Amino acid sequence: MPDACGRTFDEAFLSGYLDQALVQGDEQRVRVHLEDCVSCRALLEELASVRDATMSSTFDIPRNDEWSEAPRSGASRLLRGLGWRLMTAWIVVMIGFGLWETWQDADNLFERLLLVGGVSGVSLLLISVFLDRRQAMKTDRYGEVRK
Amino acid sequence: MVGRQPLMASPDGTGESESALVDQARAGHTGARETLAQRYRPPAYVLALQMLGNRDDAMDVTQDAMLRFFTTLNSFDSERRVQPWLFTIVRNQVRDLWRRRRRRPGDSAPDADSLTSQLVSPAASPEADLRRQQLREEVWRALATLSSEQREIIVLRDFHDLSYNDIAQVLGIPIGTVMSRLHGARRQLRARLEEGGRHHA
Repeated sequence: MPDACGRTFDEAFLSGYLDQALVQGDEQRVRVHLEDCVSCRALLEELASVRDATMSSTFDIPRNDEWSEAPRSGASRLLRGLGWRLMTAWIVVMIGFGLWETWQDADNLFERLLLVGGVSGVSLLLISVFLDRRQAMKTDRYGEVRK
Repeated sequence: MVGRQPLMASPDGTGESESALVDQARAGHTGARETLAQRYRPPAYVLALQMLGNRDDAMDVTQDAMLRFFTTLNSFDSERRVQPWLFTIVRNQVRDLWRRRRRRPGDSAPDADSLTSQLVSPAASPEADLRRQQLREEVWRALATLSSEQREIIVLRDFHDLSYNDIAQVLGIPIGTVMSRLHGARRQLRARLEEGGRHHA
């Protein structure tokens, strides 16, 4: 469908022309049109200018010695996972033991109520975080992205 | 420093072609693995940086992507090119990171200051070079404001120099969609530059 400038091809062909990604017939159609169309020529020049700025950019990258763990081996990952689990279990046991001792040492009902209230509050917060995370995983639209 | 990543049979001068290196790495040659890592880690890191804007996050994602790259090497068709495959892994790792942080690609714009701080400035350059560098910074700032879909297709084509076919493979879209999506993204980038009144075309 012809455009206001008389263009008979999709405007996206200008990007294809810029990238030299068009088949010969389309490339020729665009080239012929550009000879007469000032606005398409101006658009193409602007796109080329921005593309050139992107193309000529250079980024700093980490030195080789900064990749201290690269590539991480399967064994180190396994050990790290095991370490985290053991440490988590240790923390849970220590907290449980501490709570049990505190419960045993409590002299009155008020102290025990304080303990129950604190533990219940922390537990409810953790449960709410768990529920949110579970919901987020269920509704994640990128969950099926190919690995 | 990494600029664009032209793909050659042996860009690091080792004399080894890509498919030969992959075959050797599969066979357990440590040297081939190391060569592959040195050749493809920089572009993988830069892609992650361009999507995330944060150096530490980009390094983490690159580490994970390289690990996945090597652990899945046996299932890779060595007739295909490594870079699009690795970029697909990087892209998925970036999305995994956003998911862990409960962020969506639409609201996962990288920090423009952090991203442009990683641009290498030309040393002792004439005024014309400084102007060009200023334009580069403006372009990357504008890119940081685009949606992740728009940003990734521009960096894959205009920075990493991937063909339309490779882009289709990385993004998992039909090749016929690449040109229209790319043009839309470029249009949007140009509009952002104009909005800022900073376009020096």
